[in-house]
Amino acid sequence: METNRAAQNMADPEAERIREDLLRPLFHTSWRFYTGVGVLVAIGLAGMAAFAYQVYSGMGVAGITRPVFWGFYITNFVFWIGISHAGTLISAILRLVNAGWRRPVTRCAEAITVFALAIGGQFPIIHLGRPWLFFWLIPYPSERHIWPNFRSPLLWDFLAISTYITGSLTFLLLPIIPDWATVRDRSTGLRKRIYTFLALGWQGTPREWHRLELAMRIMSVVIIPVAVSVHTIVSWDFAMALVPMWHSTMFGPYFVAGAIFSGIAALIIAMALLRKFLHLEQYLKPIHFDNLGKLLLLMSLLWLYFIFAERLTVWYGNETSEMATFWSIQRGKFAGLFWTMVFCNFLIPFPILAIKKLRTITGTVIASSTVVVGMWLERFLIVVPPLERKYLPYDWGSYRPTWVEITVMIGTAAGMVLLYVLFAKFVPIISIWEFKGPQSKVSVPAGSFAAPAQSGTGLQPTYQSPLPRGDVGI
Amino acid sequence: MNAIYGLFSDSDSARNALSVLRTSSSELHIKTESIRVISSEPLEEEITGKEKRSLMPWIAVVGGILGGTAGYALAAFTQRTYPLPTGGMPIVALWPTGIVIYELTMMGAILATIVTFLITVGLPRYTRRIYDPEVSHGKILVALIDTDQELRAKLRQKLLEAGAEQVKEIA
Amino acid sequence: MAHRWGMVIDLDRCTGCEACVVACHAENNIATVKPQQAAKGRAMHWIHVERYWEGEYPNMHVRFQPVLCQQCDAAPCEPVCPTYASYHNEEGLNAQVYNRCIGTRYCANACPYTVRFFNWFNPVWDKPLHLQFNPDVSVREVGVMEKCTFCNQRITAAEIHARAESRELKDGEVNPACVQSCPAGAMVFGDLNDPKSQVSRLARLERGTKLLAELGTSPKITYLERESSHGDE
Repeated sequence: METNRAAQNMADPEAERIREDLLRPLFHTSWRFYTGVGVLVAIGLAGMAAFAYQVYSGMGVAGITRPVFWGFYITNFVFWIGISHAGTLISAILRLVNAGWRRPVTRCAEAITVFALAIGGQFPIIHLGRPWLFFWLIPYPSERHIWPNFRSPLLWDFLAISTYITGSLTFLLLPIIPDWATVRDRSTGLRKRIYTFLALGWQGTPREWHRLELAMRIMSVVIIPVAVSVHTIVSWDFAMALVPMWHSTMFGPYFVAGAIFSGIAALIIAMALLRKFLHLEQYLKPIHFDNLGKLLLLMSLLWLYFIFAERLTVWYGNETSEMATFWSIQRGKFAGLFWTMVFCNFLIPFPILAIKKLRTITGTVIASSTVVVGMWLERFLIVVPPLERKYLPYDWGSYRPTWVEITVMIGTAAGMVLLYVLFAKFVPIISIWEFKGPQSKVSVPAGSFAAPAQSGTGLQPTYQSPLPRGDVGI
Repeated sequence: MNAIYGLFSDSDSARNALSVLRTSSSELHIKTESIRVISSEPLEEEITGKEKRSLMPWIAVVGGILGGTAGYALAAFTQRTYPLPTGGMPIVALWPTGIVIYELTMMGAILATIVTFLITVGLPRYTRRIYDPEVSHGKILVALIDTDQELRAKLRQKLLEAGAEQVKEIA
Repeated sequence: MAHRWGMVIDLDRCTGCEACVVACHAENNIATVKPQQAAKGRAMHWIHVERYWEGEYPNMHVRFQPVLCQQCDAAPCEPVCPTYASYHNEEGLNAQVYNRCIGTRYCANACPYTVRFFNWFNPVWDKPLHLQFNPDVSVREVGVMEKCTFCNQRITAAEIHARAESRELKDGEVNPACVQSCPAGAMVFGDLNDPKSQVSRLARLERGTKLLAELGTSPKITYLERESSHGDE
């Protein structure tokens, strides 16, 4: 814990106002919330219905075919697992290097990780020909005396994603316990009973705090290699196969860099939306977007480096089978998507993020939106074009997604947003105990948050539910 | 369990109270173990006293080693009991087994950390304990448990002198 | 010594008549698909004749060869299957166990020859074709991969027969449906572990090549290149 010359005053009106602001979404719900949740649930149900139709009729209702046996579903799988790398970078690495500005941002990021993994983890089941047998991927002693094949990259996927989601859930849930205790204390009735259960009986003794911070430090160290391994292993789903332009040694680092890239972009968008809808202007400040924008710029350059290195190597080697795919991406059928991707991932974000005057909240959100689109296109261009042009030209084919795949994709995206919205409703999206009040913690860099305007009442806080300040809930 | 506690509005007065309690421990028959501090944010060590060193990191390492062993056992045992050759590779292939070992090592470390955390803080625990909802409004609670009735008045006075905003009693 | 089944296809004899394709469908209970599905690339021809046009008019010539599962010794489709539905059996065949397949389709992507086929729907046979199933071969359901098995049902039946008669299998005694039906005698099947079998002798010919040999898959089908040069045809 950093030393602090000033006294820790956690009870002053400023700190209390912060608590009220951060807890307000939990206690005050507006019609916008119900409408939004309703719409998202409807879209999610549409996605589920499309999947049910696919299970009932057969995988043939999707657009995948011979030779493009993987299409939208695997694209989305890789995309969402990539997005899930947001939380790890922010929470773990910034925690380890003691970057104080990460404090309001950690929980938003960790939530993205957990839910992106939950959504991304659906796709290996959705894309199965016999999805009701997905549990055969789990190593358990079966009556058939057979175990899964650990030489298969899909099993490595299963183990890696299981480990990562366990770690991410821990990373997310452990620091929430003290905040749930705070919510418990301000609730009544059923809500109080639920949060009493969730708070596990947390008191706030020095031992509890010490152990919690120690556990978080250990988790920070452990989760980073896990996150690196997860997307590397996902990339090896492709790299292990003898498909021209898949079988590349570079896929591991290339995918991890792309994942962190798309993860930061998703985080910026999520933060901007939270800031707007939960009125967190005092907490998610331009400096946060500025810092994340700089990281996004770095990842954009790194992405460019990887794309360049990969394409240079393939072009220079001039291997016949690889060049068929290469040209189809750069000049042929997929050229439109390819150059859109380059625009979205580099040409648009680079000037916005490199010029300080443009690196505002609006600027970074625009850049992040194009990056999210560009990274989805990148996943698509990795999966589909090489499969269209494999070694024997007689077997070349083409892929066109059907409404089933598109509906499932939109449904799962809605599911992600829904999970996040519900999370922000039941958990304070900014960690109250980690977010220090204005008087304490000299390690927080000046300007990371301006001293909030004085509430001016001069009254001591009283023990009651926060007064709703007009219709400002979600 | 009975207790008398004071609610302090900032860490200076809480530190003050703790040092007062410690210096008058003989006079008021206070044992160090019966002092409890509860806060809504982590307090600094100079206030609460140094926490005993925890073995959690070492247990996480041990958990990792156990996980790695389990990973090797899983891959080697299952593949040897029902050997199905694939792609000209050996039945227990070096590199893929390495991946399985790695992932389960990390899983072991994670699970060991979670379990150690829950055990050392004794959560979940829903029985009645010392707490005051004012803590979640930022007050620091300094309590003395299992004190004699006669000393209550003196303790109350000491806590108020040290700067407590309120002093309450349980049972 | 265990058998190691292999095949030789003489491209000089092959006329491209596709009798092998039809025979394979009949023998292995492979369904046909509707024209729209075939246009999408979903036809299920375990053996199919691949045809390439080379050159510009009027100096065009055609190259064609039957392509089927090469039963590779270092098959890239085998290690990637998470449920061991694709594995290498003791007779060197790349076995496909339909019951274990959950349909990840990874094996189909990994196969460089693209000779694996997926059941996109439950197969349908128009009447009266539903009466002509081969009882020795299962019918696969939707979501399962399938491919050429070298007519393993015929191999097994012949081995059982030979064991009942306490003798070894004779060379040429067991043939898959495609080999049996080839009118030009372009396909030869047999035991590669027997140096005196016809398939072993033909595989050693100088004309012999393997498809995509540079990938290191060690396929067990040897193609005998055409003796005639590109000039004619």
